[in-house]
Amino acid sequence: MSEVLAARGLSLSFGGLRAVNDFSLSLGSSDLAGLIGPNGAGKTTVFNLLTGVYQPDAGSVLLDGKQVNGKKPSQIAAAGLARTFQNIRLFGELSVLDNVRTAAGVRTRSGLWRSLLRTPLYLAEERAVTERSLELLELLGIAHRREEQARSLPYGDQRRLEIARALATEPKVLLLDEPVAGMNSSEKVEMRGLIQTLRKQFDLAILLIEHDMGLVMDICEHITVLDHGMTIAAGKPAAIQSNPAVIEAYLGAPEDETTAESEAS
Amino acid sequence: MKLGGPVVMLGLLIVQHGFPKFLQTLVNSVALGSLYALIALGYTLVYGVLRFINFAHSDVFAVGAWLSFTFATAFGWVATSSPLWGMPLVLLLVMAACALLGVTIEILAYRPLRKAPRLNVLITAIGVSLFLQNVGQLSSVFGTQPQRMPSLIEDRSLFTIAQVHIRLVDVTVIALALALMMALQWMVFRTRLGRAMRAVSFDEKVASLMGINVNRVVTITFAIGSALAAAGGLLFALKYEGLKQTADATWVLLGLKAFVAAVVGGIGNVRGAVAGALLIGVVEVFGASYLSPHMRDVYVFVILIVVLLLKPSGILGKAVREKV
Repeated sequence: MSEVLAARGLSLSFGGLRAVNDFSLSLGSSDLAGLIGPNGAGKTTVFNLLTGVYQPDAGSVLLDGKQVNGKKPSQIAAAGLARTFQNIRLFGELSVLDNVRTAAGVRTRSGLWRSLLRTPLYLAEERAVTERSLELLELLGIAHRREEQARSLPYGDQRRLEIARALATEPKVLLLDEPVAGMNSSEKVEMRGLIQTLRKQFDLAILLIEHDMGLVMDICEHITVLDHGMTIAAGKPAAIQSNPAVIEAYLGAPEDETTAESEAS
Repeated sequence: MKLGGPVVMLGLLIVQHGFPKFLQTLVNSVALGSLYALIALGYTLVYGVLRFINFAHSDVFAVGAWLSFTFATAFGWVATSSPLWGMPLVLLLVMAACALLGVTIEILAYRPLRKAPRLNVLITAIGVSLFLQNVGQLSSVFGTQPQRMPSLIEDRSLFTIAQVHIRLVDVTVIALALALMMALQWMVFRTRLGRAMRAVSFDEKVASLMGINVNRVVTITFAIGSALAAAGGLLFALKYEGLKQTADATWVLLGLKAFVAAVVGGIGNVRGAVAGALLIGVVEVFGASYLSPHMRDVYVFVILIVVLLLKPSGILGKAVREKV
């Protein structure tokens, strides 16, 4: 299996705070991996490092064997890395369809003049983009809402739309930041099925941040655990569940909590 | 509402002065409003994508007017009247030249400050404005002498309604401004580029993560805004003919009123800028011809105050709720 996404020794500090320390990860094509940890462990910061929102102080990110850290987020997206957001960040004023079509623009070739002059290439691309976007909305089950403003969608559909928008960039790797946060149990079951479908259908490597341990343990083949920016464990779900360092990070040290906290801060 | 009183009074004055004066005033006000709209769109577009007021925009408009003069005289259309294609040719040239100017300003002055606090960019914009005003006055550029714009449009009345001659130049100003505004509207809401612009305007960071080249969108936005201002500059020169030096206060005042129009309409909103500009044009010209011509600037700013008091987000703007 070939490696599509690799992080090597990523570190980032905000002032004196080490947000992420020596983070490494390897994802093969169509791998499904999880990134977990208590609140504030640095999970979303890792996503921001991978997608180019932050520049790492040290380390590198490789996508398909090519270094992408230092590139602009738009270039990294074009290279095949897409993401969703923990706090949903859709283009609220645009229609559902336009949200997806906007992201699909990264795979088109016709520029300003062609789009203003409406050349055959531009028109053909627009048709293809619209068609593909509708397919994605269909797949996510929100095609009937295509003309609505994104911000007017119910919460669960907004999460789905975020995924559709990310898929429109035709990624090799998809980063999902808490895809089932705030969902009820039946929605969670649906989302679980959806994640597995997407992975098979698009041959997609998926990295998932999630607090729902049931979901993570159930669908991920590999899990990395962060605490205070440090990787405290990595491995198969079964091994993670019984790892004492992980249990300590989530529940606190068994004998003396106060010392553990003062050491950490 | 308290606004009722003045409106009724103005209505009575209009009836008292008769229909021809009303019609003439209406045409003048719509023509002026169209000019404001062309400038206001530049403010609102740039604010939409970058969230800052480009104070150098009124100077791009002034440069547009002066370049129109330069091109027209260079073609030798001062003594001899211009051919029919003269005006369209000058229009294309100034729009292209000012688009280039706007893009240059963006890349040299604003782009290096993309991550700086907004106040820095604002001050830089004022600096660019002063730079353009003063460079424009160099004798090798436009000079300090007022100039008379060659009339590229035949000075005749197109048709007559109720003894009022509707002049060709007024019709041209209104029609061309309308056409450009419709083209912009189409571009923003019906093309891929417009989609990208709206996405960047809504959330620049996410747009970038979705593969949109934000710098490219910003550059194109500046090009479009500046080209519209250039068209406004040419139309202004054609309608009002006298061009004062680039640092003259008239340009600043025109730019300021267009900015007021953008704010009144709801800054960042394309349709709002047009609506605000027409409102400002109507209020200014009707106030000037029915109440007192000395107070014409006052009416504009009164409108601004009233709108800011009643609907601070502008007549077509959306209320932004502060999260607490």
